[in-house]
Amino acid sequence: MQKQKAVEVRGLCKDYGDVHAVQDVSFDVYQGEIFSLLGPNGAGKTTTLSTLSCLLAPTGGDAFIMGHSIRGDSMAVKECIGVVPQEVALYPDLSARENLSFWGKMYGLRGAGLRQRVDEVLQIVGLNNHQKGRVDKFSGGMKRRLNIGIGLLSRPQVLFLDEPTVGIDPQSRRSILDSVIEFNRQGMTILYTTHYMEEAQELSNHIAIMDHGQLIAYGTHEELVKIVGELDRIELTINAESQQVLERWRATEGVHKVSAEDGKLTLLVDDSNIVLPRLFEAAVQAGVRITAIAITEPNLEAVFLQLTGRALRD
Amino acid sequence: MAWQLRSALEIAIKDLTVYSRSRFIWAMMLVAPLLIAGLIYFAFSGLGSSSGGFQVPVTRVQVANLDQPTAQSGGFSAGQMLVEFLQNDDLAGLVQVAVASDEASARSAVDTHASDVALIIPANLTTAVFALDQEAAIVLYQDPTVTIGPGVVKGLVENYLDSFSGGKIALGVVARQLSERGMAVDNTIVQNTITQYAAWIQSLLESRQAGDYPAMRIQSPPGKAVAANSLADLAGKILAGQLIFFAFYTAAATAQSIITEEEQLTLGRLFTTPTPRTTILSGKFMGVFLLVLGQVLVLTAVSSVLFRIHWGQPLSVLMAILGLVAVTTGLGLFLMSFVKNSRQAGAVFGGVLTVLGMAGGLFTAANEGMPRAFETIALLTPHGWALRAWKLSLAGADARAMLLPVAVLLVMGAVLFVGGALTFRRRLS
Repeated sequence: MQKQKAVEVRGLCKDYGDVHAVQDVSFDVYQGEIFSLLGPNGAGKTTTLSTLSCLLAPTGGDAFIMGHSIRGDSMAVKECIGVVPQEVALYPDLSARENLSFWGKMYGLRGAGLRQRVDEVLQIVGLNNHQKGRVDKFSGGMKRRLNIGIGLLSRPQVLFLDEPTVGIDPQSRRSILDSVIEFNRQGMTILYTTHYMEEAQELSNHIAIMDHGQLIAYGTHEELVKIVGELDRIELTINAESQQVLERWRATEGVHKVSAEDGKLTLLVDDSNIVLPRLFEAAVQAGVRITAIAITEPNLEAVFLQLTGRALRD
Repeated sequence: MAWQLRSALEIAIKDLTVYSRSRFIWAMMLVAPLLIAGLIYFAFSGLGSSSGGFQVPVTRVQVANLDQPTAQSGGFSAGQMLVEFLQNDDLAGLVQVAVASDEASARSAVDTHASDVALIIPANLTTAVFALDQEAAIVLYQDPTVTIGPGVVKGLVENYLDSFSGGKIALGVVARQLSERGMAVDNTIVQNTITQYAAWIQSLLESRQAGDYPAMRIQSPPGKAVAANSLADLAGKILAGQLIFFAFYTAAATAQSIITEEEQLTLGRLFTTPTPRTTILSGKFMGVFLLVLGQVLVLTAVSSVLFRIHWGQPLSVLMAILGLVAVTTGLGLFLMSFVKNSRQAGAVFGGVLTVLGMAGGLFTAANEGMPRAFETIALLTPHGWALRAWKLSLAGADARAMLLPVAVLLVMGAVLFVGGALTFRRRLS
């Protein structure tokens, strides 16, 4: 049986004057799956999500959420979705319960139904014991959880999560990732943006990689990794900055890509066992010393490097 | 439609809840205007007297009434009448009178500082009143360290004795006229004349104490006669100026919540909910409107009690309130639509609203002698029209007289509101 599309994006564009924040982006998200938009900061992930959630009007193309056009039927779209923005968007002077109650009303919930749903969401995000506490007294992790809880209030068919784990401790991050898996297990379709490769890899059925407002790759994790084929990824650290060694490595046989960003050197090579001695030799000739080395299997980071010539770091 | 209205109301209630937890809003809304008006009120009312005047200390008076009326006076005693005059309840705030048994004990009371003044009424006071050829002198024995009290007592006694001087003159005229007609002046005629004159004097003194001056008409310029209590009138104008200034301030400060929501990203999140944008913006404006309305209602009610201000006829006051709330909400929204962030908003409050308030005459609200040019400039501002409406209401104007300023305020409010709403819509799209 063919899966139904929950999100259908067709040639989506968003321009700010001469700046093309999103350029001709198209992809599909099927019902019941977790779909990740992966890319560095400034890639256009948040703009894409803001357009899909009807916060921004597209300057080209269209998208359909559960069959409703974001251009022609934005109210129906908003009734289908829950949005968790990247930054915490809460009222600091109100308590957790007051926040949830207010946002629930904005989704049309009232009376006993609202109270029951607020209780459920407080349970889901683990804030029942802090429901009367003012949000400005909450820790960063608690605010993040409440931020996610608001997105769940309307029992959305599609949940948009925009980099929900940025800037939080590993424990809270793990808790959020487990929650996302649980929401999906209960049948919720999830569109998740991140610049953490490992999150996209762990969570997603399908991944789209974005850079400079464009979709540069789309598929399952396995499909994407095949883009880099059998290439190995080597991370190197050298004792001094040297343009000469980069030139020598680029010219070395078996080296496909060399990226130098933030003091880290990343290379895609055919077979690390064969290429590594050549890299050491070139380093000696350039007068630098290799101080650290790491070899990894092909992954999404390698895919990004292969496609853009840059590392997926920030 | 009902759902949208309810959602707008929910946004307004949420905003009011947030405002209610802000000390700054409370201070700006109620404390500051009442405090400023209160300080000016008490400064103008001298030492804080609620009667509106300088508080004179009560003078303790010992009266030794030695007056011995003769049979000729027919039971009338000028000395006793003076004692009763000084013991009148209306003079209780000025003198505290005790009757001494004799002259020595009255003087002794002053010597021992038990009393400020001793008043010795001579034995022949009544006789002197009836006899055209006799004189009597009342002795005022005073503590030399006390200055104001004896002066007050001296004034009261002089006032009293002047009445009898007039009576003696009247008696002399009566005696001469009867004599010219060949009639003898007997005791009955003298007694009746003096008694009638004394009764007239007593009623005159009482009417003066009640503020009624038969030979005088106290008037105010046309249109300003309503304010009988000049201090309350002054406080009303001052508070009207403060009320208007802080109402504009509150409206701008609360309209700033749109900027705040934009900065804390909740506005963007609201736009992702099924609540329409127009409903969201309407809810925000409703919050401002309700808050300013509450502020103005509380300030008018509290000031009526605290400063005894009569704000005017109920309908006129209601019209002034509506006009003020409409124009403050409109201007608050309009100003905030051009402000980029909260930091800039502070400059708007401090600058634009203060300048408009000054130009609108809010800080000189109690001064009636402003140049005509100043009044013309004031009417170029919403503040000036608001002040005009409130002053009219204070002066007792009826609803018809209120129509022009209130209509101007409503139109100004509507124009500013539409301008601000359009700018916000364009900005948030």
